[in-house]
Amino acid sequence: MNILNLNRGASFKVKRVTLPRETGKRLADMGFTSGTEGVIVRSALLGDPIQIKILGYNISIRKSEAAGIIVEIPPEEKNPPRGEDI
Amino acid sequence: MSTKRTISIGLAGNPNTGKTTLFNAITGLHQKTGNYPGVTVEKKEGRRIYSGVEFIVYDLPGTYSLTAYSMDEIVTRDFILEDKPDVIIDTLDSTNPERNLYLCLQFQELGIPVIGALNITDQAEKMGIYIDENRLSGLLGIPMIKTVGANGSGIEKLLDAVIQIVDSRKTPRRSIFYGNEMETEVSKLISVIESDQIFSKKYPPRWLAIKLLEKDINANQKISAHKENCAIIKQTRESIDFIESHFGADSEVVVSEQRYAYIHGAAAESVRKNTGGNINLSERADIILLNRIIGLPIFLFILWSIFNLTFKLGEYPMGWLESFFTTLASFLSGYLQDGLLKSFVIDGIIGGVGGVFSFVPLIIILFLCISILEDTGYMARAAFIMDKFLHIFGLHGQSFLPMMVGFGCSVPAIMAARTLKNPIDRIITIIVIPFMSCGAKLPVYILLAGAFFPQNSANMVMLIYLIGVTMALLSAILLRKTILKGDPAPFVMELPPYRMPTLRGILWHVTDKTGCYIKKAGTILLAASILIWAMVSFPKPPEDIVNEISKTEIRIVDNVAQAEKELSYSIAGKLGRLIEPAVKPLGFNWKTGIAAITGLAAKEAVVSTLGVLYKVGNEENEESASLREALKNDGGFSPLVAFVLMLFTLIVPPCLAALSTIKAELGWKWLGFTTIYLLTLGWIVCFAVYQIGKLSWPGI
Repeated sequence: MNILNLNRGASFKVKRVTLPRETGKRLADMGFTSGTEGVIVRSALLGDPIQIKILGYNISIRKSEAAGIIVEIPPEEKNPPRGEDI
Repeated sequence: MSTKRTISIGLAGNPNTGKTTLFNAITGLHQKTGNYPGVTVEKKEGRRIYSGVEFIVYDLPGTYSLTAYSMDEIVTRDFILEDKPDVIIDTLDSTNPERNLYLCLQFQELGIPVIGALNITDQAEKMGIYIDENRLSGLLGIPMIKTVGANGSGIEKLLDAVIQIVDSRKTPRRSIFYGNEMETEVSKLISVIESDQIFSKKYPPRWLAIKLLEKDINANQKISAHKENCAIIKQTRESIDFIESHFGADSEVVVSEQRYAYIHGAAAESVRKNTGGNINLSERADIILLNRIIGLPIFLFILWSIFNLTFKLGEYPMGWLESFFTTLASFLSGYLQDGLLKSFVIDGIIGGVGGVFSFVPLIIILFLCISILEDTGYMARAAFIMDKFLHIFGLHGQSFLPMMVGFGCSVPAIMAARTLKNPIDRIITIIVIPFMSCGAKLPVYILLAGAFFPQNSANMVMLIYLIGVTMALLSAILLRKTILKGDPAPFVMELPPYRMPTLRGILWHVTDKTGCYIKKAGTILLAASILIWAMVSFPKPPEDIVNEISKTEIRIVDNVAQAEKELSYSIAGKLGRLIEPAVKPLGFNWKTGIAAITGLAAKEAVVSTLGVLYKVGNEENEESASLREALKNDGGFSPLVAFVLMLFTLIVPPCLAALSTIKAELGWKWLGFTTIYLLTLGWIVCFAVYQIGKLSWPGI
C-alpha cells in the first residue's frame, strides 16, 4: 500500500521508500523513514501535489513521488476515518 | 588596545527556522552580502562585538541535510570543511525539533563545535511543545540555548556559550550512534582512512566514512582525487554490501533511518508534546487558503492586488521622479550651450538613466509585497497551488514567482529564480522570463496600441501579454523536450507555518533587491545609454552636407528631414541601413530597425528613439499625442506593422540589464543561447505574422 491508496485525513506509518537515489534520500532526510507516522492533509486542485503532515510539519510532494512511499495503517487506527478521496 | 580577539561563527539551520531573523538579531546592521565563489548562492556576513570579542557571523544557506544533491548543501559543507569556522550555531525550529536536529547532528559529525539555538520557543510553547534544553544538551553533547530571534532574547546567552565552547577547546567527542551493525562497518572504514595520515588530516575520518556509506557523490570525488584510494574503495564496497543485505534497504537510506532513530530516542526523553491533536492557527488558515475550490481564486486575487498596488500606487512616485528628471534636464539645458555636451548630458545621461530610475518605486513596492508573501510562508502555498499547472509545461511550482516578478522587471525576476534548486529548472525558468512583458515594454505597447488601435487599445495590450505568457509556456516545453532534458526536480517542499514577518526582515529584503537594481541602472545602463547616444550622434555629417540640407530642404519639409539625414550618417543609421534587409520582411523600415536596436539598452528607449527619429519634441512618452500622430501619418507604419513591432518588442532579447543578469546567473553560454533563441524566434514569429497578415488583409 502506498500513500495514494489512502484517503484524505488518513493516518499512516511509513514502511519504506522505494524511489530512485536522490528523491529517496531526500524524502528519508525529510523524515520519511520506517516507523514514522504521518497524516494526509489535502491535495491541490487537480489532486496533485499532496500535502502531508509528518514529524509535526507540513510537506508537499507530487503524486509521482507519493506512489513510492510504502505505508501501512497504524494499529490503533485499523478503521481509518472516512474522508474524501484525495 | 592590543589586537582584538575574533571568533568566526557559521550560522546554519533548516529553511524557515527564523535563521535570518536570528542573524539580524546577532549582527544588527553590520552586514554585507556577496556570493560564494562560482555559485549564485548568496553569502552574507555580519559582525558583532560582545564582551570584548569580535564575532564574525557567516549566514549559511538554509538546508535540511548535508547531501551533495543541492548547491546550498554543498556550499554549506564546503564552507565548514575549508573555511573551518570556530563554531557552528545551528538554528532549530522548536516547533519541529526532530527534523531540525537531523541537520544539527550532521554538523556534530563534521567535527566542529556546534551550539543549538532553540529558536521560536515562544510559539512552540503556545503549541504545547516543551523542550528540556538541559536534558537534550546532555543527551546529544550539544549545548542548547533557547532564543527568540524576533525580540532578541537569548542572544547574549548564545554568545556566552560560543565563547565558552571556544575557550574549552573541545571538539565534539560524541556523535550519533548508528547501531551496532553499522558502527562496526564505520569503524572498519575509519581505520582504512586513518592509515593514510595526510589524507585523514584533510577531512574528519568519521564524517568521511559515513558519507561514503551514504554513497555521497562529493565524498566519492574526494576519494577519487586521492592517490592511495584502493583500500578505501574496496572497504566502502564491502561495507555497503553488508549493510544493504543486512537491512534490506539502500545504505544511504539506512543512514538516514539510523539518524532519525537516534533523534527519536533523544526527543522521547527531552521533548514533551501536549498538542492534543488540536489544529493550530496556521493549519486553520490553510483550510481556507489551500482549499481546493477557493484556494486558487484567493491566490489570483492576491496576485491581482499586488499588481494593482504596484502599478497604481507606484505611478505617483514614478511620476514625481519623471518630472524631477524632466525639471533637471530643462534646468541643465538652461546652463549648457547647444551642442555636443548638452546633448550628451540631456539625451545620453539623464534621458537614459532617468527613465530607468523612475522604475525604482515600482520595484520597491513589488518587492515589499513579495517579501511579505515569502516571509509569511504564503509563497510556498502559491507554489503548491500552481505546481500541477506548471508541471504540465515542464516547469516547477517555484518557477511561478520569478515569472510573475518578470511582469515588473526581468532583472529581479532572473535573480528570484535562485529559489529553484535544480539547475535545469532554473535555466528554463530564466530563459522564459523575458516573455513576461516587463514594465518597460508597456510604454511601447501603449504608444503603438494607442496610435493604431484606438478603439480597443487595452485589449491589444492584454493580447500581447497573453501571447507572451503562451510563448513562455510553449518555450518551456520545447526546451524540456530538446536541449534541457531531464525531469523537473522532485517537488518535495516544506509548507512552513505562517509567521508574522518582521519589519526589519522585510526592509532588508527590499533594500537588498532595490540596491541591486539601482547599482545596475547606475553602471551598465548608464554605459549602455551613453553608447547608444554616441551611436545616434556620431559621426556627424560633413559640414557642407548639413548646410546643403538646411538650404534646400529645411524650409520645405521641416526639420524631420534634417534629423533623418543626420541620423543616416550616424553609426546607428548605418546599422539601421545594414539591418534593413533583415527587418524589411517584418515590415519595418530602417528607422524602426534603429528603434528596435536601441530597445536593447532599455525597452522604453524604443519610444524615445521613435521620438527622436520622428523629431516631434524632446520629451516623448507613450501619452504623447504628437508622436502618435506622426507615426500614424508615416507611410511606413500601419496597424499591422505596429502589431508586429509590439511582438518584436515582446520577443527579441531583453534589455542589456536583463542580459547582463542572465550572464551573471548562468554564464556566457546560456546568455548566448538565450540571445540567439529569442532573436530567431522573434524574427520567425514577426515574419510569419507580417506576411500572413499582409496576404490576408491587404488593406492594413
